[in-house]
Amino acid sequence: MNRRNRGSSSSTSRVSNTYGNRQTSDNPRTGSGGGASDSFRRRSDAPLKRNNDEDESNNKDEDLADVSFIVGTCSSMCPERERVTRERLRDLAVFERLYGNPSKSSTDLAVKKFCRTLSAADVQASDVRPLPVLEETLKYLLSLLDSKEHPFEAVHDFIFDRTRSIRQDLSIQNLANERVIYLYEEMVKFHVISHKRLQSCSGTSNSSMHHLNMEQLAKTLTSLYNIYDANRKPDYIYENEAEFRSLYVLLHLNPSSGVMGEPLSLWFRKLTFALVKSKEICFVRNLLRLYRMGNYKNFLSRTASEATYLQYCISEPHIREMRSVAVQYINNVCYKLQPYPLLRLSQNLMMKELDVESLCHECGLETCTDPDGFAVLPAKQSTFRNPEDKFKVYDLIGIERIER
Amino acid sequence: MAYVSMGEAHRRITEYLNRFCDAVSYQDSSTLCRLLSFSSNSPPLLSLADALNVFQDASSLIRQSDKFSEYGEILAHLFRSLQSYRVGNLVEAYLAFEKFANAFVQEFRNWESAWALEALYVVCYEIRILAEKADKELTSNGKSPEKLKAAGSLLMKVFGVLAGKGPKRVGALYVTCQLFKTYFKLGTVNLCRSVIRSIETARIFDFEEFPRRDKVTYMYYTGRLEVFNENFPAADTKLSYALQYCNPKRERNIRMILKYLIPVKLSIGIIPKDELLQNYNLHEYTKIVQALRKGDLRLLRHALQEHEDRFLRSGVYLVLEKLELQVYQRLMKKIYIIQKLSDPARAHQLKLEVIAKALRWLEMDMDLDEVECIMTILIYKNLVKGYLAHKSKVVVLSKQDPFPKLNGKPVGS
Repeated sequence: MNRRNRGSSSSTSRVSNTYGNRQTSDNPRTGSGGGASDSFRRRSDAPLKRNNDEDESNNKDEDLADVSFIVGTCSSMCPERERVTRERLRDLAVFERLYGNPSKSSTDLAVKKFCRTLSAADVQASDVRPLPVLEETLKYLLSLLDSKEHPFEAVHDFIFDRTRSIRQDLSIQNLANERVIYLYEEMVKFHVISHKRLQSCSGTSNSSMHHLNMEQLAKTLTSLYNIYDANRKPDYIYENEAEFRSLYVLLHLNPSSGVMGEPLSLWFRKLTFALVKSKEICFVRNLLRLYRMGNYKNFLSRTASEATYLQYCISEPHIREMRSVAVQYINNVCYKLQPYPLLRLSQNLMMKELDVESLCHECGLETCTDPDGFAVLPAKQSTFRNPEDKFKVYDLIGIERIER
Repeated sequence: MAYVSMGEAHRRITEYLNRFCDAVSYQDSSTLCRLLSFSSNSPPLLSLADALNVFQDASSLIRQSDKFSEYGEILAHLFRSLQSYRVGNLVEAYLAFEKFANAFVQEFRNWESAWALEALYVVCYEIRILAEKADKELTSNGKSPEKLKAAGSLLMKVFGVLAGKGPKRVGALYVTCQLFKTYFKLGTVNLCRSVIRSIETARIFDFEEFPRRDKVTYMYYTGRLEVFNENFPAADTKLSYALQYCNPKRERNIRMILKYLIPVKLSIGIIPKDELLQNYNLHEYTKIVQALRKGDLRLLRHALQEHEDRFLRSGVYLVLEKLELQVYQRLMKKIYIIQKLSDPARAHQLKLEVIAKALRWLEMDMDLDEVECIMTILIYKNLVKGYLAHKSKVVVLSKQDPFPKLNGKPVGS
């Protein structure tokens, strides 16, 4: 089955009488693509359950068994009337300005904003973008990631908001087929990569941006899982499903991390057999075991040699943690008269020797040189402390194999 | 479906109507229970169902008499449900029963005393069971199952009715347990939180007042929740309570409690006797216990794999996986004991090479760095008392109590 079929709409013509573009799905729950009927609303058996705040206001009061969903007709990335309004109010993001003009945009630049207070009654079909338009919109947004002109935080902020609007449009129309899966996967990737990149950006607003990004990452992941489930065929998993499921485990490695969601023991119950046995899930289950045990050596070496790029991005805080744990343990258990060589430590922690030295200092510990001239960590120092949150990111030796 | 004559059908229906109304008038709870318990598939109920399907217009019978029509709405829905149930139309049966339940609960509210509590229990039980059956029917027809979720909402409503100052409040725990069963089945276990909060913090409730049977069930489910949240001391307390007060004759229930209590006890260093595992058919834990006793990591890994599916589904897999450190501790102790026999003066020195060799015998290949890492963890978490001399590649054990017992606390706490 061609899972990445992006549909036949050409990008030149964005006129959307595209009701028929929905891929057929066996599952009646996703609804049938209504033919180009007069009404812009489509009937469906039951709305897709998503855990976003996006659709709470939409579906709350409606009888679950009998809901109709809008089919969007907006043919550009931003509805005409919104663009005009925002031009007038000079409410254009930097990326939306035509030649830098704060009150002029264009159909190629303006992208629909996320609007929190949306109730189903207020929404018009002309404000909602159909699937092909959403696909083009996302493609455009993600292309901005390569932009060198603007600082990453600004790029992130813009894409963060505009992708949220994409998710809102998907939710209002209750779209949930394989093309939608691809969109959600790309949006999760965006949040994951932002998660990593935001860490190395400086600036005080960063921690709240980071936190909000984590929140949306969790929500987008949950929506993605619901769509996987809605389209479930027996014993079938999507091309990337195992990897995206594995990200959940990595987000919840630490039971008291406070990330939104269920405890892992509960979450594993729901996985299908095929998922449990998949390479990616086996890999993260192993990491979970090693993490919980405190086995820093194997955790780090396995991550370095087997993690995918996305898994690595999410694991960064844990990599950091395991390294501090290693320093803490070694300082605590070693024989005072036999300090621990930094070279060996760096090999075990998959770090450069200079980075290990820096880490020890961040942990409040002194390093010195032994009589043979090798750098060592003396044991039983009483000054150990956990490094602060605003931490340095050290390279993970071995992760260079992942091309990006 | 058996053949019933119109006359006979008329007779049966009228008899039921009389029984029902008399039961209510004379506050005869046990009769009422029997009249409502569909899932018991009792002959009188089945024969009533046949009669209804023949007679088809039971509502006219109800309307004819003042005695019956007082409960007209309740009875009409009840009959419709029973009819559908009899012909295997479970979604319809559920929908009608839900309407019946709503009407019944309204009446129940008006009754001053708590005489009908047992009957209300039956209604709660039946609605859950019917909802499960209805959902099965829905999924087999390719539709999405939503009746059990609806039953959950109704049960919450009932809970609300009981959560007051009067004598009816002792019924709240039973309804809570029905809610637990519902949420566990649905997988929406997080919804248990709100009702737990009500039971445990509301001043109108005194936990000791509730019937013992309900307390045991409650502790079983909340204990399981603690297991999911990996909160072992709390899980131990609750599941042990359930075990202690459970009726010893209810072997199936004891087995269910033990299924979750054993992993919890293992994680705080308490090992069950083999007879216990045998008597209650809990052989999935046999190899795990053996692995702990022998310090055999290979056996532990093998046991986890063998029953992986079962352990994952019951949510104890992660708990059991954590036993690895205790197995390592046991292995180190064995090495120490063997060394003590051959060379007591140097027994307290565990060479990393020797440990690596022992692990190789168990078909676990580890380099010295990995072995050192494991020993570091064991020492830090107080499973081994001593220190690591890195250059000499040896762990020097403390002369006193080098392998401390867990003493009822989880590892590393």
